[in-house]
Amino acid sequence: MFESLLNALPVALQLGSLISLVVGTLIGIMIGALPGLNPVMAIALMLPLTYGFDPVIALGLVAGIYNGSMYGGSIPAILLNIPGTPAAIATTFDGYPMTRKGQGGLALKTACWSSAIGGIVSALALMTLAPMLAKVTLAFGPSEYFWVAIFGLVSIAVLVGKDISKGMLSALLGVIIGLVGVDAISGAERYTFGTLYLVGGFDLLIVLIGLYAVPPVLEMAEKRNASYFNADSFRVTAGDGSLGLVRRYWRTWTRSSVIGVCVGILPGAGGNLAALLSYNEAKRRAPDPETFGTGNPIGVAAAESGNSADNASAMIPSLTLGIPGNLIAALVLGALMIHGLQPGPQLFTRSPDVVFGFMWQLLLTAMLLLLLGGMVATRLFAQILRMPTALLVPTTLVLMAIGIYTVNGNVTDLYVMLSFGLIGYLLNRLAFPLAPVVLGVLLGPMAEQNLRLTMLISQNDWTVLFTRPISLGIIILLATILLSQLWKALRLRGHSSKRAS
Amino acid sequence: MPMTYRDFFSGIAFLIIGATTAWMGKDFFADAAYIPIGAGILMGVFSLPLIWRSSRSLLARHPSSQPVMALVDHPGRFLATLGCCLVYYTALPSVGFYTTSALFIIVLAPVLGERRPVVVLGITLVFITLLYGLFAMVLRRPLPVEFFLAS
Repeated sequence: MFESLLNALPVALQLGSLISLVVGTLIGIMIGALPGLNPVMAIALMLPLTYGFDPVIALGLVAGIYNGSMYGGSIPAILLNIPGTPAAIATTFDGYPMTRKGQGGLALKTACWSSAIGGIVSALALMTLAPMLAKVTLAFGPSEYFWVAIFGLVSIAVLVGKDISKGMLSALLGVIIGLVGVDAISGAERYTFGTLYLVGGFDLLIVLIGLYAVPPVLEMAEKRNASYFNADSFRVTAGDGSLGLVRRYWRTWTRSSVIGVCVGILPGAGGNLAALLSYNEAKRRAPDPETFGTGNPIGVAAAESGNSADNASAMIPSLTLGIPGNLIAALVLGALMIHGLQPGPQLFTRSPDVVFGFMWQLLLTAMLLLLLGGMVATRLFAQILRMPTALLVPTTLVLMAIGIYTVNGNVTDLYVMLSFGLIGYLLNRLAFPLAPVVLGVLLGPMAEQNLRLTMLISQNDWTVLFTRPISLGIIILLATILLSQLWKALRLRGHSSKRAS
Repeated sequence: MPMTYRDFFSGIAFLIIGATTAWMGKDFFADAAYIPIGAGILMGVFSLPLIWRSSRSLLARHPSSQPVMALVDHPGRFLATLGCCLVYYTALPSVGFYTTSALFIIVLAPVLGERRPVVVLGITLVFITLLYGLFAMVLRRPLPVEFFLAS
């Protein structure tokens, strides 16, 4: 295997391949940075154009777009609180407060380095551990997926914000929003109130942009003549050099990359879950967890390395078993088939140059991020904050409108986005955290479907949820987080009552 | 309004949402009702500590020590922005995407305090041209057609 891997390196370094990597990464960063456009759409549009090219060039474009978009999504998340892709939700938690504090440059640099490191670790995992990790995928059934979703939901609700009951209420609100529409298993309509629009449920992107992006824009609009962003936002200080970042964040990067790789191999889990779990873990281990959410760069480092580490590892089940774990993996399989290659275990023996070359390309694009992301894209996009606030508000609203309209081509989506924006604004003012709402919309349906599948398979035997070893491991982890938070809350109460007496 | 009042009323609102969700959920078909009922009940349960804490401090006349933000900082500009958004979304399908977007920026920027017409017009022109280049020429995404081009 390692011989085939080394033989494929010159293939990935061909001029055509290198050009496709650069072009793909630039397109990816741009696509990721524009809300409403996603890497799936970009790859789907690009693939037919590459039909006449060598498969290595086509896959180079895919690798570039895939890795580039993951970093691109963090740019509007940091600068405007708009997650460019759903995987960038966790980046907004600390990235945007950093920009407000005048550390936008540092936040973008941290995101760029973290994405690159996550991507590199993920590509190395794909190259070296693919066959072994593919077996782990098969050990996860609906019961384990149910607990993964519950873990993500409960831990973020408990860890984000100061009040556990407010966090849980936000998460449950998200779960209820996610219930609207036709039930995927029984086909029954739920909470549609006879409205045709609600039959399809709420699109995640519409809820996401409404809750996250509209409230800060409304706040910006309210502050006349006041500088919303700090003018020194892009001045990077001496301690913020690349070596300084490596020294400060290597532990966070390592931990988050491992989490990202583990989540990536699970079909359907996605970069958003990887980022949120990484963020949770970073906050849990930090000596100053209370600074998370107020502009702690470790939060950005954890979220970005987590979501990028998901990229290449998501290809593991698709390349080794022929089972696509996400839509992009399915498109990669499609690209291979367009070029006459059959995905599955035989791919490694029949076309080693292409499959191992693709692994190298994923590694190279992760490295390219440092160059293209840091030197070109970040500086270009950072200019938007120099715009006067009175112009930034309408242009951002137009950008949101085009992003939302292109999802379904439906104007009603814009009104729905604005309504969610008002809900988000109100929740903000009432001190309810917004992240659990989005997570509820995202993970609620995942938890429900897997719970019901478990019940169907086990013929309504509830004990199955608690007896499988991986499920049990996740339950123990969840209990640890809940108990540690409870312990912290009790200790805090004890301290404050002592002080009062 | 102090934070305790806000907590009290938001707790009541969540209790009502939870109870309604669970009550409507009981009519769903078999296992499709599990999560709606569960989520509704849990929402009700988690709203109780919020109501309890806030009502206790209200009865004890202890104002909350939490810093309180106004619900809306500047109602005038807030409502003007919302109003412009509603007009923009309503006009979008009939007037066309690029025309409406350009007019939206040109109108909202002065409302929010930008008093340099050349800057407003310049940025609008550059921004709309960039959007047109990307969405109409490169990505070819279908957007509402301009009124002067519609046949």
